[in-house]
This record gives sequence, structure tokens and C-alpha cells, in this order.
Amino acid sequence: MAGKNVLKLYVTGQTPNSQRALRNLENILNNELKGLYELKVIDVLERPQLAEDDKILATPTLVKILPAPVRKIIGDLSDKEKILLGLDLTLEKEK
Amino acid sequence: MIKMAKKLEKVPTGVSGFDEISHGGLPRGRTTLVSGTSGSGKTVLAAQFLYKGIVNSGENGIFVTFEETPMDIIRNTKGFGWNIEKMTKENKWAFVDASPDDTDNVAVGQYDLGGFLARIEYAIKKVRAKRIAIDSVSALFTHFQDPGIIRHELYRVGARLKALNMTCIMTAERPTEEGQISRFGVEEFVSDNVILLHNRLNGRGERERTIEILKFRGSGHDSEEAPLIVGGEGMSTYPRPKPQLRGKGSTQKISTGIKGLDELLAGGIYKNSTTLVTGASGTGKTVTTLHFVMEGAERGEKCLMIEFEESPGQLYRNAFSFGWNLKEHEKKGVAQLICHYPEDLKAEQYLRMIQALVIKNKSKRLALDSLSALQRIYGEEKFREFVIGLNAFLKMRNVTSLFTNTTNQLLGITEITETHLSTITDNIIILKYVELGGEMRRLLSVLKQRGSMHKKELMEYEIGPKGLNILGPFEGVENLMSGSARKVEIRFDEEEAEREFMKESTKGRI
Repeated sequence: MAGKNVLKLYVTGQTPNSQRALRNLENILNNELKGLYELKVIDVLERPQLAEDDKILATPTLVKILPAPVRKIIGDLSDKEKILLGLDLTLEKEK
Repeated sequence: MIKMAKKLEKVPTGVSGFDEISHGGLPRGRTTLVSGTSGSGKTVLAAQFLYKGIVNSGENGIFVTFEETPMDIIRNTKGFGWNIEKMTKENKWAFVDASPDDTDNVAVGQYDLGGFLARIEYAIKKVRAKRIAIDSVSALFTHFQDPGIIRHELYRVGARLKALNMTCIMTAERPTEEGQISRFGVEEFVSDNVILLHNRLNGRGERERTIEILKFRGSGHDSEEAPLIVGGEGMSTYPRPKPQLRGKGSTQKISTGIKGLDELLAGGIYKNSTTLVTGASGTGKTVTTLHFVMEGAERGEKCLMIEFEESPGQLYRNAFSFGWNLKEHEKKGVAQLICHYPEDLKAEQYLRMIQALVIKNKSKRLALDSLSALQRIYGEEKFREFVIGLNAFLKMRNVTSLFTNTTNQLLGITEITETHLSTITDNIIILKYVELGGEMRRLLSVLKQRGSMHKKELMEYEIGPKGLNILGPFEGVENLMSGSARKVEIRFDEEEAEREFMKESTKGRI
């Protein structure tokens, strides 16, 4: 895969859901997808216009822009298999 | 010390008529749920609430859209003459766009609607909004799979909006016209104020929209369903006028414009009374109307004439042939002529139009020719509402009115009571044809005049060069009202006359 892809995680301040999502995601990125993705954490309270642009309703929401298609995964990301499936990354993982 | 509860302030919606039945509008700082089946006008109501808030009250608004895109809403309301795009550029109107996009949503674990709430608050701050519309909350339930979370989150959104003193409309989808108020039972946790929009098929296969306030907690409202129309400059409702709006009677008499008729009426008709002129086609109802209008105009009383039977050209010509320059009076502003096809507008719209014109022109006389044209179009119930509504309004404004009614029967007696007209009219004047000695003659009679004596004689009249001219009483004849009169002394075969007349009439104008 050429270049780094960006994952955006939208959170609301320091809510337990947000913190859990961040922990879970960092875990996956560090252990399963080493170096493949760059993570941007966006707090909707601080950057509401970005939330508007990405049409974010729920928090936490993980947005994958590339590779297409755009995917949104909402929730505290507590199920690793589902995350990888949601990101279309099962194949990548097997490689 | 006991604190007096402050009377709940209301926010005008700008939906004409609705602010009357809601006693001023929506409760300030509260959320009102607007529930209705698809096509009942929820989105228009929500948008109009914001649009009129900006135009009439200087209160900016946020539109949260779940179904249509902001572009759709801008385009769909252009027809009403609204320029929402301009308002967004002027930071008076902001969209929170939650319309569907083509991304997939997967839920993994716990979430809340923090993003949604943050966007709403951001938009509110951005345009310093006082009003917000969320269209529709039902979409949230289909968008997210967990109704428990959505209920909880909607409750939180409502509480936050209340804390910000926002006046809010939330729309909700109603599955059917009967049964539950909204899908997912939204009304139970979202709001103390519920409005229903109905969209039903009537007996004649037409769509009829109405609006009904189901509840306003701690605040007054009317409970009847009011007709609703979407078109023109947006949405309007047409509540029935309240019976207490009846005006007081007058003791002052004014002229009908026909000298002989004034004599029969013991000096004319009372100011602010309602007169019905009823007769078959060609008996002179429009001429009587013109007399009434010209008399007023010449005295400098503002007159309004609503004409459903003839074109302006015809009417000017008719008036001119009797020596009246109606156009001149129009130019001076004392007379106003409105010619319409009765099919052009719905009954409620005509009522609104006439009310607006009377108020604008400060009309003192109103003539409507003819009521039967409207009756033909609207059906009994709508027609009755129209007549009662118009009459109550005219009484309240102290307007003297004259309506005409075309009877189908050329001869004989017509049941006026059947048409609901007799109870609301103060004076009834009958024009009719009678056959007498092989000739068609014309007969005028005052059937009733409320609150005054009147002559009950049957008068003969003609339509002469100066209009309707009363010649004098029919003498020496009887059975006039049946249509086929006979001289008292002469034996007369009624059946023969009837046959004769039928023969005549098939050749003639009937």
C-alpha cells in the first residue's frame, strides 16, 4: 500500500466512550496495523466545523477515507474483529 | 413567598391562521413535536417557522435536516418566494446537514450523539439562533439501530435546547392517519407540546390537509382541526371564526340604491346587515348588485364587489348601459371589482382574500355575485363554513353586505332554507318570473327583514334604462308566487299554462 492513510477518530471531550475508543484503536493500530495508518483525533467540541463537514452524528466515530469506500464505524470500538472487517482490512491482515 | 408562575410566552410561527388557534404561536423555549403522515406538510411547516422568524421577528434559525439535503430545501421553497440561500450567506439561517450519504455505518460498542449535539450548538452560536427545526427525529431511529440510545440522546438534545432557551420544532413520521401519534412513540419523551398534521382523502377524492393542536402543556390553544393549504407564499391555515365575534346590530338604515325597494324595506336596509337577493337567471340579480355598489360609491362609501358570474368587461358594459361609470369609481378608489372563476381558489382562500381586501380597503359595502357559484364548486359543508365565516367577519367589521343566489327553478317557489342561507341573512329579497296573460312578467318581494317592518306586497318591476325599476303592485291577480298567476275573474287552465310554458321554455333561454 503506497503512502500512509489517515484515520480520523471523532470524540466528545473526555467521555468514557471516547477514551475507551481511543485506547482500543491505538491498540489495534500498534499491534495489527503497524505503521499503515496515521491517526487524527478530533474533539467535536473543539472542531465542530470538521464534524459538520464529515457529517458526524455519533461519537465516537472512526472515519476511514482511503482506501475507498469511505467507512464510518461508530461506538467505543470494543470488538477488534469487527473493526478490521469494517475497515476492509481482513486481507491486509492476512498478508 | 410564593412565586407567581410566569405566563408562557408564545413565539409566532408566521403560518397565517395558526397563530390564532395556538393563541399566539409555539411556547417559547420549548420543543413542539409536529407529527404527520408523509406529505402532510411537516417540512414546510418547519421551514416556514424559521423563515418567518427571520423575516418577521428577526429571530435567526437552524434547520437540521435528516431526509432532504439543504439544497433540496432551498430549491423546494423557492416557489414560495423564499430565498433561504441568501439567508445562509447572511448568517441568519444555518443548516445542520444530516441527510443520508453513501457511507456505510457500522456500530461497534457504545456511542452517544455527542457529534450531533456539538454541531447543533455550534450552528446556534454561529448565527445566534433563537429557533431550531429538526426534520425529522424519526430518521434518527432508522439511521441508528439502538432505539434505547436514541431515546436517551433525544431527551438530552431536548434538555440542552431548553437550557439554551431555543424554541424548537421536531417533526416525526406518523405511520397512518389513525392510531399511534408517531413512529417509535417519540411524543412520549420528546415534548409536552404536540401538533398533528392530517392529510386525508375526502369524499370527493381530493387531498385535504388540516392542522390540529393535540396538547400544549400549561398553555392555551383551540382544539379544533383547521384546514391547511400549502401554496402561494407557503403554508396557511384557516380556522373557523369564533361565534363571539358577532357584531352588534345597527339602527341606521342605508339605501339599496333602488328607490322602490327602499320603500318596501321601510327606508332601506340596516347598516351591517346581510341581504340575500335570490332569483332565477336573468331576473336582475347582478343589476341589483350594481345598484347597491353604485349607491355606496356615490356616497363615498368604500365598496367591494366580488363577481363570479361575469367578466370585468361585461360588467363595465352592463353598468355603463344603465348610466353608471363603474370604472371611474374604481379609479377613485371607492369601488373595487374582483372578478374570478370560482374554481380559482379554495373556499378558505376566498375567505382570506375577501377578509384581506376588506381590511386593506376599509370596505363598508360588500357585494358578492353569486354565492351559488361557490356552492356549486365546494359542496355543502365547505360552503356553509365559508358563508358563516364570511358573515361573522363582515358583522365584526360593520360591513353591509349583499349576496346573490341563483335558483334553478324559473317559476315557482324555491326552498331557500335548504341552502343554509336563510338563517344567516337578515334580509331576503325574491326576484322571479311570473306568467300572466301569456306574458312573462317580473315580480319582486321582500320575504323578510330582520328587526324591521317591511311591506309584503308583491311588486312588478322591469329592467329599464336606469336599472331595476319598480312599477307597482300586481293587482287583481292571485297565485303569483307559484309562478303561473291568473287574473281573479278569469278562469284559467293551470295545466294548460304549464304546458304552454314548457313549450315556450324549450325554445327559449332556459
